[in-house]
Amino acid sequence: MSKVTEVDIALSILDHQLVDSDGQNCGKGDDLEISGLDGDSPEVVAMLVGGNAWRSRGRLGRLAARLSGNAVHVPWTEVDSVTSVVTLKRPATELRLNRGDEHWASIVGKLPGS
Amino acid sequence: MRLSELLNRKVVSESGERLGRVHDVRGALVGGRLRVTGLVAGELGILERYGIGTHGSGGPGEAKVHGHPVIPWERVVRVGSEVVVRDESPKRS
Amino acid sequence: MTLKNVLAVALGIFAAIGGFVDIGDLVFDTQAGATFGFQLLWVVVVGVVGIIVYSEMCGRVSAVSERPVFDLVRERAGFGAGLSTLIASEFVNLMTCAAEVGGVALCLKLLSGLPYRLLIPLGVLGLVVTCWVLPFRWIERVFGYLGLGLLVFVVAAIKLHPDWGQVAHGFVPGSHSGGSLLVYLYFVVGILGTAMGPYEVYFYSSGVVEDHWSLKDLGLNKVTAIIGYALGGTLAIALIIVAAVLFLPSGISPQFLGTPALAAEHSVGQVGLLLALVGMLFAVGGAAIETSFAGAYSLAQFFGWKWGKKERPAAASRFTLSWLVIFALAFLVVMSGYDPVKLTEYSVIFSVVALPLTYLPILLVANDRAYMGESVNGKLANFLGGLYFAVIVAIAIAAIPLMLLTNGGQG
Repeated sequence: MSKVTEVDIALSILDHQLVDSDGQNCGKGDDLEISGLDGDSPEVVAMLVGGNAWRSRGRLGRLAARLSGNAVHVPWTEVDSVTSVVTLKRPATELRLNRGDEHWASIVGKLPGS
Repeated sequence: MRLSELLNRKVVSESGERLGRVHDVRGALVGGRLRVTGLVAGELGILERYGIGTHGSGGPGEAKVHGHPVIPWERVVRVGSEVVVRDESPKRS
Repeated sequence: MTLKNVLAVALGIFAAIGGFVDIGDLVFDTQAGATFGFQLLWVVVVGVVGIIVYSEMCGRVSAVSERPVFDLVRERAGFGAGLSTLIASEFVNLMTCAAEVGGVALCLKLLSGLPYRLLIPLGVLGLVVTCWVLPFRWIERVFGYLGLGLLVFVVAAIKLHPDWGQVAHGFVPGSHSGGSLLVYLYFVVGILGTAMGPYEVYFYSSGVVEDHWSLKDLGLNKVTAIIGYALGGTLAIALIIVAAVLFLPSGISPQFLGTPALAAEHSVGQVGLLLALVGMLFAVGGAAIETSFAGAYSLAQFFGWKWGKKERPAAASRFTLSWLVIFALAFLVVMSGYDPVKLTEYSVIFSVVALPLTYLPILLVANDRAYMGESVNGKLANFLGGLYFAVIVAIAIAAIPLMLLTNGGQG
């Protein structure tokens, strides 16, 4: 029988750091998608990272969302473990995370010694 | 539905008793999935919003839980503009 | 004390020198000495204890959780409150960075005689190149240890033969003479504000993670905090004494940065002048680096980006751009020609207003057993932490009214 760990989602997962399989930071858990709330066994199906994930996080969140692109949906199946951070099973690039760093690296990379 | 939309919703019992607001969702990590097993509702003190004094468990390297009472998902009737839960059955002597 | 530990204390010294003897201190401390003599010395001690308490707490939180403090602000307070804190602290960081950059240009002018406006871009360029090229540990060591040139002020203070009885009296808080109560209180707020700046704790906590401290480094954390800030406090006290002896009798108001340096020359000669100027340059330069990095750390840590000097600049490109942009904006502010001394005063006062927002999460998280395990605050840390939090709230409320009522300490 698999080990069952209890967790309070807003306390432990929401707004926590996401770390990929290489140990690199790749954003925060900006929101979570829950399905099956009208049934007997709802479950968390995805984490929403960045962009308009902030839409429902209050007034400042709505403003921030409007200035950003689309959120990345990370299916919960990509999550490896939940400790004080949420660790993912694959590198950030495969999950389309950290695109911001890739985008700006094209400029920063032009400077010597970067 | 998003978690952020569920948080802060009012919770009422079928008989109309106000039970506070949803301030967290209890889940269970099992077999690579995160199932929702209950709601944590009630009035939350200022310190408790910062996770102090909740008598929870978990340490620096672990997932955390509040020590607050949890409404098990079986008691939830429906999730609308308010969350309606079944009254607790009266204890039989 | 192993060699590794001695060098590790460099983080504390760098943070303390850059945080404690930056342009804000240079301005407020010499002004305080020139206006009130030794009567504000007790405020320095209060400030030193306060920053030691919160730095130790903050370092402990980061060493145990291996995460920087700003991560915790968002985790605990949520997106909205975290974002408000971020915006407020970025505003203060930018103002302070601009003040420090202005100070660097002034120091370079005193050293080289070249025109101020030319030295602003040169100074910023020098800082940027240094940050780009040097690894974190070398930045700590170079700026921290060269900033110790300021110790010449301790020598100067002793050689000036102040009335030590009066000096001792200055360590007792209480009544003052000569000058209005409001101006006195304005200086109390200013000195405390420049001792306990918000950027110091953010920088220190990120530095702890950059230097890979963990549970076994808690003792080192305590020692670093105490030695670093005690040293910073000693320098601040020396500055006040020197200003009191040289400027109070003549009524000279040290509006210009050169005056403290000339004070060093007066008692220690040419060598003293050089040491003072080099010390000031690296202390203020170190503070400029701290503030710009603190801003970049906070931004990256709020959004969950890769961060740190430990990463190659292009790998953590958003973090890199953040500190570059902060330096660029600071440069623009200084080039606008605004009086650097006035800019310094405003940045200190605004930091004071932002202090409660900064320090409250630290105090709360340090008490969370689920986060800290056995390393939660003990009774002493909580007593002092709570006491200082009350002090911080009081000065945050009083800061802007006092500034307006006293016309920036002019009376």
